[in-house]
Amino acid sequence: MSYEPKIVGFLCNWCSYTGADLAGTSRIQYPANIRIIRVMCSARIDPTFVVDALAQGADGVLICGCHPGDCHYSEGNYKAMRRFPLLKKLLKSYGVEDERVRQTWVSASEGQRFADVVTDMTERVRALGPSRIHATLLTDRLER
Amino acid sequence: MQNSRIGVYICNCGSNIAHIVDAEAVKESAAALPDVVIARSYRYMCSNPGQEMIIQDIRELGLNRIVVSACSPRMHERTFRNACKTGGLNPYLCEMANIREQCSWVHADKLAATEKAIALTKGAVNRVRYQEPLDSLTAEMCASTLVLGGGIAGLTAALELALAGHPVYLVEKTDRLGGNLARVDLTAPYLDSARDLLTERITHLRDNSNISVMLSSHLKNLSGFVGNYCAIVETNNGHNPPEEKTIHVGNVIVATGYKEFDASRITHYGYGKLPNVITSFEFEQMLRTGRVQTKSGQLPQYVAIIHCVGSRSKEFHGYCSRVCCMTALKYAHEIKSALPDSYVSDVYIDMHAFGKGCEDFYKKSSEVKTLFLMYGKNERPVIRKADPSDDCEMLIEVDEKLSGERIEIPADLVILMVGMEARPDSAEVARLVNISADKDGWFIESHPKLDPVATTTDGIYIAGTCVAPKDIPDTVAQARAAAGRILAKIAKGKIEIDGVFAEINEDRCSGCRMCNDLCPYSAIEFDVVKKRSHVIPAACKACGACVAACPSSAIKGRHFTDQQIYAQIGGVLA
Amino acid sequence: MAIRVNPKLINELERFGSEDVYNCYHCGNCSAVCPHTDELFVFPRKSMRSLQMGLERKLEKSIEPWLCYYCGQCSEQCPRNAEPGETMMSLRRWLISRYDFTGLARLFYKSWKSELVAILAVALFTGAGLITYGFWQGDIRIYDGAGAFLPSSGIHFFDLVVGSLMLLFLAVNSVRMWWLIMNPKRERIPLWLYAKKIHLLPWHFFTQKRYAECESGQPGVVHIPWLMHLGIVLGYVTMLILVMAFLHTLQAGPQIEWSAHVFGYLASMGLLAGTIYMLHGRLKKTRVQYLRSQGSDWIFLGLLFLITITGILQHILHRVGLPLAANITYILHLMVVVPWLLRMPFSKWVHMIYRTLAMYFADIQRGALAARAATASSIRQVRPAA
Repeated sequence: MSYEPKIVGFLCNWCSYTGADLAGTSRIQYPANIRIIRVMCSARIDPTFVVDALAQGADGVLICGCHPGDCHYSEGNYKAMRRFPLLKKLLKSYGVEDERVRQTWVSASEGQRFADVVTDMTERVRALGPSRIHATLLTDRLER
Repeated sequence: MQNSRIGVYICNCGSNIAHIVDAEAVKESAAALPDVVIARSYRYMCSNPGQEMIIQDIRELGLNRIVVSACSPRMHERTFRNACKTGGLNPYLCEMANIREQCSWVHADKLAATEKAIALTKGAVNRVRYQEPLDSLTAEMCASTLVLGGGIAGLTAALELALAGHPVYLVEKTDRLGGNLARVDLTAPYLDSARDLLTERITHLRDNSNISVMLSSHLKNLSGFVGNYCAIVETNNGHNPPEEKTIHVGNVIVATGYKEFDASRITHYGYGKLPNVITSFEFEQMLRTGRVQTKSGQLPQYVAIIHCVGSRSKEFHGYCSRVCCMTALKYAHEIKSALPDSYVSDVYIDMHAFGKGCEDFYKKSSEVKTLFLMYGKNERPVIRKADPSDDCEMLIEVDEKLSGERIEIPADLVILMVGMEARPDSAEVARLVNISADKDGWFIESHPKLDPVATTTDGIYIAGTCVAPKDIPDTVAQARAAAGRILAKIAKGKIEIDGVFAEINEDRCSGCRMCNDLCPYSAIEFDVVKKRSHVIPAACKACGACVAACPSSAIKGRHFTDQQIYAQIGGVLA
Repeated sequence: MAIRVNPKLINELERFGSEDVYNCYHCGNCSAVCPHTDELFVFPRKSMRSLQMGLERKLEKSIEPWLCYYCGQCSEQCPRNAEPGETMMSLRRWLISRYDFTGLARLFYKSWKSELVAILAVALFTGAGLITYGFWQGDIRIYDGAGAFLPSSGIHFFDLVVGSLMLLFLAVNSVRMWWLIMNPKRERIPLWLYAKKIHLLPWHFFTQKRYAECESGQPGVVHIPWLMHLGIVLGYVTMLILVMAFLHTLQAGPQIEWSAHVFGYLASMGLLAGTIYMLHGRLKKTRVQYLRSQGSDWIFLGLLFLITITGILQHILHRVGLPLAANITYILHLMVVVPWLLRMPFSKWVHMIYRTLAMYFADIQRGALAARAATASSIRQVRPAA
């Protein structure tokens, strides 16, 4: 029996969450593996959220914000953008494959794009197989 | 949180949720969660009986946390928060799980969708345990309004507000009022004079002492929040440095309008090279002077009108500019009445006769013997100069769809129906007032169907063609709608500021001041005496940038705390 | 090669009776409801379009106007009241004037008054001629036999002269029609096709079978206009044969010569019923195709009716023994017949020949297309796979 990847998505309220809602209003279908958590801005996303998600069993994490220049809070997505490379480096040292954590931009009018991103990511994560660092990170979290 | 007594409500939303998600199963799984006192599944939670259910349960079962798994919180968060309030519970102790827009509407696999709905509900239940009661603050609502743009939308909105007795500041970039409508002669389909429409508006405007008109001015900066905005308007009246004025307003209406497509970008229409190829606006000017004639002063025998110049094309703009089809028919009428012996050819892709009176107008245009010629969307006509031996100035060659032939249309005068596009300064305006624009530069409304004049920023409204191409009736309707929304707000008198903002724990703050510069709203100030940073609640917009950045974890993002989010992560992955 | 749009053509067609053509916005309902349109010949929308755009050459060589029998369903269905049925009618009139090399047809269509003047002139000329001839060689009180005012031999000769004249103009105009439609320079149609389809000429001429199909597909319902029209056609064809070949027997009397006269009676009944039905239809506007009547339509029916009435009258008068009255009526009869025959190649009546030819040409074109397709596919089979 093939495994079904679990993906956690952190979506900013103004652009990407609205874009995901638009995909819903337009009835655009995408795989059901993603579970979305709403934050007000992608700047709110603490890198530890990503690590925590992976530790708790997520096979993939998607971070969505507004397109650069369009952030509802002016520059929040730039802040998120700056944190991301460091996070990826850290995760790599834990053995987390590059394609498991992804940051992208979805605007409020891009329902189709959101569906495409989720579909694409789900397939990539499925191809990678279940995340193996779950146990490692779980120990780390319990000690914290 | 200790002693949580959680009520979970699974909405069926008729069949919208229930036909994919097994609501009963979600209810059962929710009921089995720790601290869940009651779980219910109901047809329409947002209805009165649905809300009553929550209110009653709060009172009778002593619930202190509510979870509603239903549509998007962007739809009904307010509804359920109000229900909690009515039941005597703080509205921020309510959480929604989105099992419609982000579940039942996008997944066909019932099992997977139900599993996901269960997970999302669990996430919401976990989160709500850590949610705290929050109180909102109140602030005064300033009754003045700033209107950006002096076209028909801006004029209408300003008048509507001023007639209700409130001050309005009308800021217009050029040195005169009227916008693009001032360049038009008659309007379709009833052929009213545009000048009359505007004069009526402008006269009333000038007579109204509530309106301050600022010409040759533009918005330089906008700060604050709904009900309490501070705008800096710069006026170019020849002085150096230009004059600046600071005004306090409660709301802003953006009605900056559109600009027409530059026809010279399409080389095979020969605009700019062939003297008798003109744009619709240039033709309007001709109509206003009363003489329809070629560049050399002669009366044209053949006139051709080409639709969709710059619109509905892959290379330029994919959208339809909405008004040009009826305007083109208006030209056919006007040309035939000015020159009854002329031959008018209307070269179009589709005839968009969408509004009231438009289909009849189209029929009338046929009756005055307009020849309609259809071309394909991505196969543009080519205009070239005719031979001296021909009885016409130019020939338009195109593949005509209704006859299946490749034809040459004689023309002494060609009118290009140029489409609408977003103004080049629209991106700047969007940035100044903190709204978004879509890929074509049109401002984005809060909800495309249900909220066409509001934006995601409270207190900023959009109206008219700056939102999308539209005709005069729709522009005026939107302007009045925006004014109406503001009047309703002003009538309430006070505004409630969300209890959601960032809070700095002074004990944990190390005074590093890293957050001070991070805030785009300058809502964090540093107390030099205490050597600690402090958030100004009214100015904070709760983006959370500072929360995530603080190296001491000293900042708590109210209603979006780390604890709540960790709990939610755990719930959705369980 | 791009075709020039000529918006002026429609002004010309309006003089031939087209109305409201510009209202057409090409929904295609007319072609959808037309019982006679097929894949190769699509109408009436195509003709409406060519007319709107003034594609003169295309219209001139089109067969479609002739394939139409004006059942009127297209005009009934048209959501814009663009009168496609009447447009097809006006195109037929225009084509008649185009095929005619003399220019008389165009003159008559543009001015019915000039046509009436021409008819009157010919009638008076004929009358004067006949009276002169009669008095010169006969007695006005004798209808038949020796000393007859208008002996059958003389009239017979006269009829042949008039008939030949008519046939001459008809032949030339028909060749022009063939040239325009079949355009031998553009594509070669094999001669065997002409031979193969030749049976269609008498078939369509005598039965107008396609006209019968005009009723909106209801089984068992007879299309009354077809029946009446058939009556008229068989009527005058019979009369023409009787007059051209059996005038002697026809004029003999006063007893009834049943072998010949029975045909005459049947023909007269057909003619009478048909013309009265159509005149009534046009007066009372009973059907879509009778709503609009031009001068040429009235003249056509009026003359035919007069011919029938005078023909019947002079036959009766002769039988009841009133030779003087019979002779006078005979003169009147011929005064109507002669212009009737002579105007044939320049008027509405020529549709008798043009439509028949058009049906023939249309089927030949269908055959040629089928033959070409068959050859193409057989070539594909013969060529070895690359």
